[in-house]
Amino acid sequence: MAQQPAIDPMHQFLIHKIVDIPPVNIGGFMLDLSITNSVFTLLVGTAFLMVFIALTAQGRIVPNRAQASVEALYGIIDNVLVRPIIGAGGKPYIPFVFTIFMLILTLNLMSVVLAIGNIGGQEWTFAVTSQLAVTATLALITFLSVFILGFVKHGPKFLGLFWVPGMGVVGGALMVIIEMISYFVRPITLAMRLFGNILGGHVVMSLFGSFVVGLGIFALGGGLATLGWIGSGLSLTMIVALTGLELVVAVLQAFVFAALTVVYLNEVVNFGHGH
Amino acid sequence: MAVETHATTEAAGHAAASGGLPQFDFQWWPGQIVWVLLVFIVLFIYMRAFAVPKLGGAIEARDAKIEGDLADARKLKDQADATAQEAAAERAQGRAAAQKLANDARAAARGEIDKALAAEEARLAETAAKADAAINTARDQAMTNVATIAQETAAAIVAKLTGKAASAAELTAVRARG
Repeated sequence: MAQQPAIDPMHQFLIHKIVDIPPVNIGGFMLDLSITNSVFTLLVGTAFLMVFIALTAQGRIVPNRAQASVEALYGIIDNVLVRPIIGAGGKPYIPFVFTIFMLILTLNLMSVVLAIGNIGGQEWTFAVTSQLAVTATLALITFLSVFILGFVKHGPKFLGLFWVPGMGVVGGALMVIIEMISYFVRPITLAMRLFGNILGGHVVMSLFGSFVVGLGIFALGGGLATLGWIGSGLSLTMIVALTGLELVVAVLQAFVFAALTVVYLNEVVNFGHGH
Repeated sequence: MAVETHATTEAAGHAAASGGLPQFDFQWWPGQIVWVLLVFIVLFIYMRAFAVPKLGGAIEARDAKIEGDLADARKLKDQADATAQEAAAERAQGRAAAQKLANDARAAARGEIDKALAAEEARLAETAAKADAAINTARDQAMTNVATIAQETAAAIVAKLTGKAASAAELTAVRARG
């Protein structure tokens, strides 16, 4: 342990198996569904989320604090996003957006709030949303659901999404290419934005964390090295500040993901009205 | 401790293999993707079947209750206003009736007083007229008596002076001249 490099901010993103499950053979592809630390955190977070909602959503006319808290979260989706952006027609899509929002919010917050690090030779915290595989899957779920919904609701006419009227044939054709690129880049930006934000925040926090310990140990050497305490203390201050910032980022990124989902849904639900 | 060493060796191996972010170690992708899909499906069903109807239902029920209570309050207020208006109208009507009654009574009393006064005045006038007539009669009579007395006195004076009685015709002629 002591021989490990002092500064390794990527270590926290390493995946390892916790419960080994034999791979399943699906058409020649060996699918390994082992419970890794990533999957474990995902499952714990989801279970926590479901229990939290089951306990707090009591359906009272006069809500208590717990119910008010979960209704406030619901209100973010219903009153802040779906209703103002999509309108009354957005009601059927609330469960989808709420699922996306709550899942990302829970995983994001867990990665900051439960950042207790390494105890008993085991990492107890893991930023699931810093895994590109996870954010890409969520982005694709959103993108494909919306894209398929467009064809289910509007049929081939939905391809008119790429056509910008009033540009002529040549200009229009050119715009179709640009519109298609900007459309199909959406899942990539969705995935990269969430991944990048959480990854970056955790790398920086980990770096300052290593400074606290590293400079502290250095300062123990005495003499001029005692000045290391200053750096160590400053780094600790930075970690406190960054934790606050990361909490904001955690909520904000969940909100941004949900907001973009609603914006994309709006194009489908109100297709032909807004153009 | 076994897990830790396992993780450490693995970390070393993969860091060497990918030479970059652990996230681009694609051996962990299929498992994560499938698990995320599974979790998402379960969570979506949970939200759709339980959470959203419960939360949205409670909020809608609350809004409906507030709306209903407000409507009830508004209705009650309207009712109260109507009742107040009715009461005010009734009071005004009552006041008007009382006024009319008083006016009528006053008019009736005045009429009676006027009639009584008129009757009394008529009676007084009649009495006065009668008295006047009586006075006139008495005066006339008195005047007649005076003339007669004067004639008789004149006759007596004439008889005394001349020694012969003046005839009645002469006396009347003198009286007419006088």
